Amino acid sequence: MIFALPTLAEPRHFSLAEKLLFLALAAASVWGFWRRFGVVLEKILEAKKDAGFHLFPIGRRGREFLWEVMCQAKVIRQRPLPGLAHAFVFWAFCAFALVTLNHCATILGIGFLDPDGFAGRCYFYFAAVFALACAVGILGLFVRRFLARPRWLGEKLSWESGLIALLIFALMATYLAAFFVSDKNPAAKALWWAHTLTLLAFLPVIPHTKHLHLVLSPVTVFLSRGGFSRIPPLSGDEDFGLVAGKDLTQLVSLQAYSCVECGRCTEHCPANNTGKRLNPKQIVLGLRGYLNEFGPSSDEPLLGKYNSQQAVFECTTCGACEFQCPVGIEHVPILVGLRRGAVNTGAWDDPHGAKLFLALERGSNALGFPLAERDRFIEKNALPLYDGTQEYCLWLGCMGGYDPKGREIILSLVRVMQHLGVTFGVLRKEKCTGDPVRRLGNDLLFQQLAESNMEALKQSKTKKIISICPHCVRTIQEDWKEYGTPPEIEHHSEFLARYADRLPQQQSREKIVFHDPCYLGRYRNVYDEPRAVVSLAGKLVEAPRHRERSFCCGAGGGLAFLGEETGERVSHNRAAELASTGASIVGAACPFCNTMFRDALAAQGAGAPQLLDIAQLAARTLPQDNST
Amino acid sequence: MKIIVAIKQVPERDAQVHIDSSGQWIEEANLQYAMNEPDAYALEEALQLKEKAGGEVIVISTGPERVSQTIREALAKGADRAIHVVCDDLAARDALGVARLLAAAIQPESPDLLLTGLQSEDLGLGQTGVIVAELLGLPHASLILQVEIIAKEGSKAQIKARRELEEGWFQSIELPSPAVLTIQSGGNKLRYATLMGIKRAKTKEVRTVHAADLGVSAAPAVALEAITLPKKQKSTQILNGSAEEAAAALVEKLKFEARVL
Ligand code: SF4
Ligand code: SF4
Repeated sequence: MIFALPTLAEPRHFSLAEKLLFLALAAASVWGFWRRFGVVLEKILEAKKDAGFHLFPIGRRGREFLWEVMCQAKVIRQRPLPGLAHAFVFWAFCAFALVTLNHCATILGIGFLDPDGFAGRCYFYFAAVFALACAVGILGLFVRRFLARPRWLGEKLSWESGLIALLIFALMATYLAAFFVSDKNPAAKALWWAHTLTLLAFLPVIPHTKHLHLVLSPVTVFLSRGGFSRIPPLSGDEDFGLVAGKDLTQLVSLQAYSCVECGRCTEHCPANNTGKRLNPKQIVLGLRGYLNEFGPSSDEPLLGKYNSQQAVFECTTCGACEFQCPVGIEHVPILVGLRRGAVNTGAWDDPHGAKLFLALERGSNALGFPLAERDRFIEKNALPLYDGTQEYCLWLGCMGGYDPKGREIILSLVRVMQHLGVTFGVLRKEKCTGDPVRRLGNDLLFQQLAESNMEALKQSKTKKIISICPHCVRTIQEDWKEYGTPPEIEHHSEFLARYADRLPQQQSREKIVFHDPCYLGRYRNVYDEPRAVVSLAGKLVEAPRHRERSFCCGAGGGLAFLGEETGERVSHNRAAELASTGASIVGAACPFCNTMFRDALAAQGAGAPQLLDIAQLAARTLPQDNST
Repeated sequence: MKIIVAIKQVPERDAQVHIDSSGQWIEEANLQYAMNEPDAYALEEALQLKEKAGGEVIVISTGPERVSQTIREALAKGADRAIHVVCDDLAARDALGVARLLAAAIQPESPDLLLTGLQSEDLGLGQTGVIVAELLGLPHASLILQVEIIAKEGSKAQIKARRELEEGWFQSIELPSPAVLTIQSGGNKLRYATLMGIKRAKTKEVRTVHAADLGVSAAPAVALEAITLPKKQKSTQILNGSAEEAAAALVEKLKFEARVL
């Protein structure tokens, strides 16, 4: 049956002149490619090595490569329609690799796929299916870019994209058309040359445009640091973060050249969405511009011509950009790296920032209260002290120890733990984990806080910590590792979910919308546990942006301490979204989100939902006589 | 201009202090220390003067080995070099004794300006700076918020300083260098310590001088008998009588007993 179908026309005879012309054009095309690609490669390789980079274990890299590159999972999942269109273009390219090789080989008389043979025929049909899908896909992408034009693609129409779309379309069309002519027909040769010329024109365009990602992004995904927002260690006495070109590492340079300018990062950035200067895509492109102009061994400051200090310090480190990026760019380590460069050298001069740093240089908490306040809270509520015999060390954190709302969360958790009969104790002395200063790039202070806390925990023989704050959890578990071995820690949502079947289920249909904290969701991959707790107290509803795509409250990255924002407040934007779900309660799982939404929800006016932490929701289900 | 800043290491603000067995001092083991806050302001003032007028900032501190950490911090913030007067019995010396140590170590440097905090956060005597001035025979002023160099000729300078008086009054005074000024908190914004500063501080000179080699007497002129922690007191008094009488009694008590009015 298959033999009744059309056969791919393939001219059999080429003159010597044709062969020579082909070789000359191919050489010119490769030269055109290398002339730019060589420069980019050289810049990447010339950059300094990444401290703490290990190629092994390779399994994770393989898996990520398969999932993100081969399956295009992220591309599709985060933007289904254009994602699928892109995936077809990508898969067609993969399927075409063999076709293209064979195509070029035929003129030299060494073609290996026979259009008349069974295998060749099958393969050409296989490729034809993808060619068709690809042609449709690229048309769709063309329409989207030039007619629909979403905001995050930028104001400027890119002629490059138009050209590339045209070339890809021509490649597919000339391939498909060859099924409808015979070998003998001169049109077969015309099609062959048309296909070849398109191909040879395409190659040099790649490195000169953002289509460089065709070559680089698979490498970028494969070589990514892994984990989420992993901040690399500083190396040596002269490393203060990303200060100048000479601090750009190979990974950062590779990432800067891999950006495909899709704008997904910007589309989801809370700072950019609320009228701030920060645009994560521009941060990456800024580094690329810097590398193009100054190169990776320059002393020219990175914050200057291409990127601004103001923008870098507007980042909440929510990680939405990094989560979205389809080519594996790690924005948060870059942004924190630039902050490190500014703070570690004293170039960042901000009254609020300096106040926070001084409060932690001299005192124990980010809020600047005397420790005695915390003692008073512990005494007044008769919280047991941790003596090494209890199951959990209950970490209060700055918010739980000093902030009135944070304290309410702690007391609710205490009620639940007592109800469950789980033993715990609090530390007499506890310092800020260093989360805000870590994200603001103050390595000196962060190291002091991490070391002094780890020493205190060691002395108290703490084995397992429970905390109400996702920032504390992240910082203790991941960031402290740079200076020692932190104890095991879990977030109270994980604890509560584990004990959910021993907590009473409230027969309430009250609608509760859960807000995913960035540091619990994207940073820790905990999504279902807090929802399980919410479901004990009422009916869970979802906000439009939830789980991995949750929108930040505006507090992270030390921003809770930096005073008034420019533009709309991130927290107000999110609070309006949460309120619009019609829920009567907003469920939170982070004391920083809580403090941000306290005002933001109040600004929603009468009828705004009530704000409760999941610990408070869990405590509400307990019988009243159990109250302490 | 050569500016010396005398700094003191004191227990960290959040330190939980306990009285030791002698009853005359606190237990020092397990305490964390920090730079005395008014001294941090004195250092900031010196660094800003240097940034404006050039010169050198030298910090001096006396105390045991642990003091070197605070000295490092001062170097990290921008001081050029330091003198550590090593003295293990600091708690046993009174203000005069400490001032003698400092004056003896400072004298050979003949600075143009000596700045120090108005008082220390631990003892709060507020005397050390002014006694050093007397011992060195230099003019001095206390409670200073801002310092300005208004005229300079060679190493001699005319200094204008702003003092804070009671009830929101300020006084502006002028004095010739060399002089001693004791600085009070809040006049400037402090700078934060940076990683680069700490790394650079490693290569800066810290000269150690031993207290015993300075030829000053260790015998205190003031005998310390005992120290006690403030007593926590909660006492409730009910003021009877008519509203006016009760109000009058309350004002009386707030003025003379609680001393908050
Ligand atoms: S981490 Fe969040 S705030 Fe920062 S650039 Fe990325 S999306 Fe924007
Ligand atoms: S950084 Fe990533 S998400 Fe942002 S525009 Fe570039 S490729 Fe797209």
